[in-house]
Amino acid sequence: MKSLAPLCNLLLTIAVSVWTVLIWDPASLAAMLAVQIALLAYAGQLRKLLKGLFGLLMVAAFFSVIQLPFDVAVPIAVASGLKMMVMTVAVLLMLGTTRLPSLTAALVSQVKIPYEYAFMFTSALRFMPDFIAESHAVREAQICRGYVQSRNPLKRIVAYAALVEPMVLRAITRSETMAMSLELRGFGGARRTFTQQIAFAGRDYLVLALIAVITAAVIRYR
Amino acid sequence: MLEIQQVSFAYPGHAPVLKNVSLSIQAGEFIGLAGRNGSGKTTLTRLMVGLGKPASGQVMLDGKPAKDGGPAVMARSVGYVFQNPDRQIFRDTVASEVAYGPEQMDWSDDERQAAVDDALAMTGLIEVAQAYPRGLARSFRQRIAIASALALKPRLLILDEPTSGQDAEEKKQLMQLLGKLNRQGIGVILVTHDMEMLLEHTRRTVVLHQGEKVYDGPTQELFADPAHDVGVWGLRVPDVAAIAAKFTKITGAVRSVEELAASINQQLGGKTDEKPGASV
Repeated sequence: MKSLAPLCNLLLTIAVSVWTVLIWDPASLAAMLAVQIALLAYAGQLRKLLKGLFGLLMVAAFFSVIQLPFDVAVPIAVASGLKMMVMTVAVLLMLGTTRLPSLTAALVSQVKIPYEYAFMFTSALRFMPDFIAESHAVREAQICRGYVQSRNPLKRIVAYAALVEPMVLRAITRSETMAMSLELRGFGGARRTFTQQIAFAGRDYLVLALIAVITAAVIRYR
Repeated sequence: MLEIQQVSFAYPGHAPVLKNVSLSIQAGEFIGLAGRNGSGKTTLTRLMVGLGKPASGQVMLDGKPAKDGGPAVMARSVGYVFQNPDRQIFRDTVASEVAYGPEQMDWSDDERQAAVDDALAMTGLIEVAQAYPRGLARSFRQRIAIASALALKPRLLILDEPTSGQDAEEKKQLMQLLGKLNRQGIGVILVTHDMEMLLEHTRRTVVLHQGEKVYDGPTQELFADPAHDVGVWGLRVPDVAAIAAKFTKITGAVRSVEELAASINQQLGGKTDEKPGASV
């Protein structure tokens, strides 16, 4: 996927999500997940994401199990959990194999999305790890002042204010600083150009053709 | 009061950050912790308050393993002031911000109020007690972070580069505050890259280099003894110490510009209002 054009990667991710919505067979979904994990390993991303994938597996399992008391058939419940995993891993694969500036360039040049919106989208993705690190730091700062997570859900929600408020205030400050720094570097200028190579090559057209064939097959045989 | 025993630590998939570090901290000490970026200073202080678990060795507080309590319990004995105060400030007034910690403890209302009042008084924040914390200058926000830690009545205060982002006067005031707290019996561990500050205010310095403790002794000796490879350790001999070393007749402790000037004046036979720390 690293050698594909950014827009091709995005279309592939969307296609995988569409297939996932249409397919209800747990075995097929499990096979898709296995292929995705193999691709993650091939892209050198698996080790880094292993902990997160385990957490995702737990959430998916919980999501499946919680449906069982409501008379949902086991295969459907299992498929729901798998769908959640396949869609999330598809996005992780795209983020792990596509440079965000290239994705911005593709959204603007090829999809014709206004640059401001494309930039906002990719910036939001770019700052997720920072946001997670920040929340970890805030949590540690409050723990050092005696913050302990209560077992009472109501008390826990109230106590979250100590974590959420500094994070939101820091995020606002950071976004203001970023906005200023962007304007100082010419953000919003009349004409925007990109240096990234985003044009489609032969392999991209091949992948697009495969996407079309698989999508038709999924619709036909689902 | 705090014992670090043969502590090693490594982040998953990375080289060890700390290697067999041992340290004994007595009540009421004023200790500097120095070393290059990445030498393990912050990791060591985080282990001291229970924000991480050593891969081997242990941290003992008053003879008991610190891991038994966890950081929220440790906060009653060891206060931690982070480099960036904005990561913890979230309430509308300085007083309520400082009160957050005591509210987490099983104290009576009177005890909580007394703890907040004491912390505000100790840090000189009474006049701004009802001000919006985020509207105050960085130096005030740093004091709020210190007051927040003090409100839990710790016996030891760890500060991670508390003077960053402050001007010279603000640094001076902050160090005066830490000196005052130390005279009141609160131990201080100061993580810093400021060598002048280290020399002037701390009596003992611990130096970490590549995860190992390479020096633990009087701060004055760290800079006075040429055998100590301070450059390799990422430190610098403060100007005051370097100049004092050139005056062969100054043989005692010179920790600040004032003490150096007093010593030189005395050597030259001039009068001075300053009492020299050095013997000439």
